[in-house]
Amino acid sequence: MSNHLLRAGLRATILPHRSISLSAVCTKNVVLEQKLKDEIHPKIGNREIVGFGLNGLATYVDRCEFPCPAIRFKEDTPEVLKLREKEKGDWKNLTLEEKKALYRASFCQTFSEINAPTGEWKMFLSVILLSLAATGWIMLFVKKFVYPPPPKNLTREWQEKMLQKMLDEEQGRIMGISSKWDYEKLEWKK
Amino acid sequence: MFRIAVRASSALNNAARQCLKEQSKVVTAVRYSHGKQETDEEFDTRYLNYLNRPDLDGWMLRKAMNDLTGEDLVPEPKIIIAALKACRRLNDYSLAVRYLESIQWKCGNYKKKIWPWILQEIKPTLTELGILTPEEMGYDKPELALKSVFDM
Repeated sequence: MSNHLLRAGLRATILPHRSISLSAVCTKNVVLEQKLKDEIHPKIGNREIVGFGLNGLATYVDRCEFPCPAIRFKEDTPEVLKLREKEKGDWKNLTLEEKKALYRASFCQTFSEINAPTGEWKMFLSVILLSLAATGWIMLFVKKFVYPPPPKNLTREWQEKMLQKMLDEEQGRIMGISSKWDYEKLEWKK
Repeated sequence: MFRIAVRASSALNNAARQCLKEQSKVVTAVRYSHGKQETDEEFDTRYLNYLNRPDLDGWMLRKAMNDLTGEDLVPEPKIIIAALKACRRLNDYSLAVRYLESIQWKCGNYKKKIWPWILQEIKPTLTELGILTPEEMGYDKPELALKSVFDM
């Protein structure tokens, strides 16, 4: 996919320098050279180039950080052009439908649609839980069928006997384990 | 190798001595000459002057909107009003609604605090120009779902 994106990026065309220039206004509209026009317009169709956009490429992209993309979303169809004519009059005369149509002609998604939750977290959560479950099953399987039984000196009885032997032999009489055992009362010192 | 080290250390030494020397006034002037901090008023006036230009075109208006969105601030109502009036002059209704949406987005987590105040300030202009707020347009909630490009 990245390859595809890269190719798309290379193919996208750079708008005239006006876009990054800091000098004052062009008094007339930007007119594309014929060469640039031949390059850009097959890709964007009849869509109007309206601004610098995100990076100076004549592409449409919905991003909150850049509310105004470089081109309009829809081509100038006769209906849209008719609406544009009506837009030149008082905006109070436009109905809600017409206003929405105008918005959708310029932009693809509203901000709330851009930021709408995709529900993708459910997939991630399910994958995480599934892999945890799989790990548990693998561990059970391995413990049951693969590993040898644990060494006998890990059992409780063995360790108790070991402790008794250490006390009997008075190991660590000064600082170690036997120093904590009271040989008179036969219990641990308090 | 040592020669390089010696050379480097002597260069450092020189540089340090240069820095410690008392700087002449010219040098100081040059040091501090990379611009002063723009005050909020200057910022507002700059954008107001820009948006109120009679020869403002759609290209410049969009640039101003994108730039304002890039700033770490919510624009003052007067800037928003100027932008909306610029939209009116350029006959672009969609841009006005888009910019209001952008303002709401800029309010971020404080939308409940900031947006009502901004709305109260710009309401007269909205009524005058006949611009609906994103809520009135029904754009505060997702209206249409977009098919993923990977499914096309």
